Amino acid sequence: MIKEKITILNENGLHALPASRFVKQAEKFKSDIKITKDGVEVSGKSIMGILTLACEKGSTVTLTTDGKDEKMANEALKKILEGQD
Amino acid sequence: MAKERILKGIAVSKGICQGVVFIYETKDVKVVQTPIPMRYLETEVERFTKALKRTEKELSNIKERIDEEMGVDFAQFLDAQILMLKDRDIVEAVSSRIRTEKTNAEYIYHRVLDEYAKKLSASRDQYLRERVADIWDVGTRVLRNLVGLTHSSVVDVPQGSVLVAHDISPSDAALINPANVLGIAIEVGGRTSHTAITARALEIPAVVGVENLLGKIKNGEKVILDGNRGILIKSPTPGRIQFFRGEIKREIEYQKMLSPYCELPAKTRDGRQIDISANIEFSVEHTHAKRAGAMGIGLFRTEFLYLTRRGNPSEEEQFRVYNELAKKMKPDPVIIRTYDLGGDKIFSDYHEANPYLGWRAIRVSLDDFEFFKIQLRAILRASVNRNIRIMYPMISTYEEIKKAETYFDQVTKELRREKVDFDDHIQVGIMVETPSAAILSPQLAAHVDFFSIGSNDLTQYVLAVDRGNERVSHLFDHFHPAVLRLIKQVIDAGHKAHIWVGLCGELAADPLAIPLLIGLGIDELSMSPVAIPKAKMVLRALTVPECEKIAAKALNFRCASEVQKFLRRMIAKKFPGIGGIK
Repeated sequence: MIKEKITILNENGLHALPASRFVKQAEKFKSDIKITKDGVEVSGKSIMGILTLACEKGSTVTLTTDGKDEKMANEALKKILEGQD
Repeated sequence: MAKERILKGIAVSKGICQGVVFIYETKDVKVVQTPIPMRYLETEVERFTKALKRTEKELSNIKERIDEEMGVDFAQFLDAQILMLKDRDIVEAVSSRIRTEKTNAEYIYHRVLDEYAKKLSASRDQYLRERVADIWDVGTRVLRNLVGLTHSSVVDVPQGSVLVAHDISPSDAALINPANVLGIAIEVGGRTSHTAITARALEIPAVVGVENLLGKIKNGEKVILDGNRGILIKSPTPGRIQFFRGEIKREIEYQKMLSPYCELPAKTRDGRQIDISANIEFSVEHTHAKRAGAMGIGLFRTEFLYLTRRGNPSEEEQFRVYNELAKKMKPDPVIIRTYDLGGDKIFSDYHEANPYLGWRAIRVSLDDFEFFKIQLRAILRASVNRNIRIMYPMISTYEEIKKAETYFDQVTKELRREKVDFDDHIQVGIMVETPSAAILSPQLAAHVDFFSIGSNDLTQYVLAVDRGNERVSHLFDHFHPAVLRLIKQVIDAGHKAHIWVGLCGELAADPLAIPLLIGLGIDELSMSPVAIPKAKMVLRALTVPECEKIAAKALNFRCASEVQKFLRRMIAKKFPGIGGIK
């Protein structure tokens, strides 16, 4: 399991379009993927969950990936959160 | 016979049509709570997943169509909608609650969506609050499929209809078939609503913001919709019908007469080439521009990028739009105007007493480098196509040009460091639309690659008239000699510094103004695509010396009405057969 604190650097926070990209990317991995913000945990494979977290630019979340491809998942998803995809 | 009634709204897409009202109502699906017996629970879950599948197919079809017809950017919101539809948290929650609560799928699904919608509605972020509309857009589709309601779809609108609705959801607006829908009228919305944007892109006349429209109009009624004046006429009198039929017929004949000019070069009789280019709002309009015979995009307004969504468009989103347009227009030039809105459009809590003299356009960009940088980077990255030019709006001082230059250099340095390719020789110009920029044009010309005169704002600032104010709007006249003299100064200053000078306001499309502007030496005229054939026709009948004579004379009148009267006489001499030329 990889747990990492990440600051959202994506220009518009995790709004609908980046959130869509995140979910589509997350679905490619077998690992269990979670995002936690202010103690609320949602599935990284659920766009509704992510949207309800209301992640603005500059906010900090914890990305948890757990499974065989957790390392790859962590790297790919981190990029989206940091706006580098 | 019913009494004629004229309903007023906001004109958002030009054209006139006469048709039969088709009221498009997205009826709220009545959701009732029904207990489900144990042995049917699995069937109920299956019914739910089937409805999801059917909805997904609908949305994919819509997306495909939009991708094809309007470009990828328009379809992006559907990606998010499809993900919302398939959201595993929702699907799991609904399936398991059908089983545990032994209740019908509609009821459970509605409840689950409502919980999410409530969470988002409570968000401090306006953008997220507005996503609630997307949730219900998707949700209603699923519920309709669940209860087996045949989808009252805009696809089914019969031929010859004027589509009337309270509002049209983005996914439905994208489905409007221009072969059947003659015009659109809705109760809500403004110039930048999704419906307005779609109507303009499809070239269908549209009026929005018609108050209490559905309370005043019935299905099957005959109406006239005038997208030029922004009115919908209910039960028009025979006289009115005749008038508008005449107007529609004249318009059609006129377009027919003009259509051969699309293909012809924009040259005066004695061979002076004037670049006629197009003002467009959306990248998809490049097809209109090309069809009309434009030799490039003289003004690409980037406002829709900021207005159709909350939150500013990312570099990537902007890059895709600019890049697609540049590719489609290659090798013809595309002039991209940077952010040209008031500060209130990006900072929702910002208000000012005098917005036209306030914090807007380049002033906003220069005050917020992080914001400006995103747009500059996107434009520069798209400039690999080698046909993009940058234009700064509302420049009023030399310092602004310098500051923009510093930012521009900073961005190019960054791109070089990142080894990102861009056009080293990209032209950077300014809009000349403030009196100070026009008066100082000889001093400014050395620092830019071109001038594009924004005649609408220039007129407004020179004459100190807000054209949106009904009491003074009659004072707005771009033929005012004070405006014309400034235009001459700007053109002369540009030519002296060996840069080209264009004009991209409404004046460019006014047939009366064309001889005058050619006489003043204008190099480029940029106008909405529909105006191009007429402009070509007019300029192809002229010679430069006669235009110069006209211009010299026009500048010496005392007032706009004298100028207009004179120009009218000149044009009437040139085109005796054409009464409708304006």
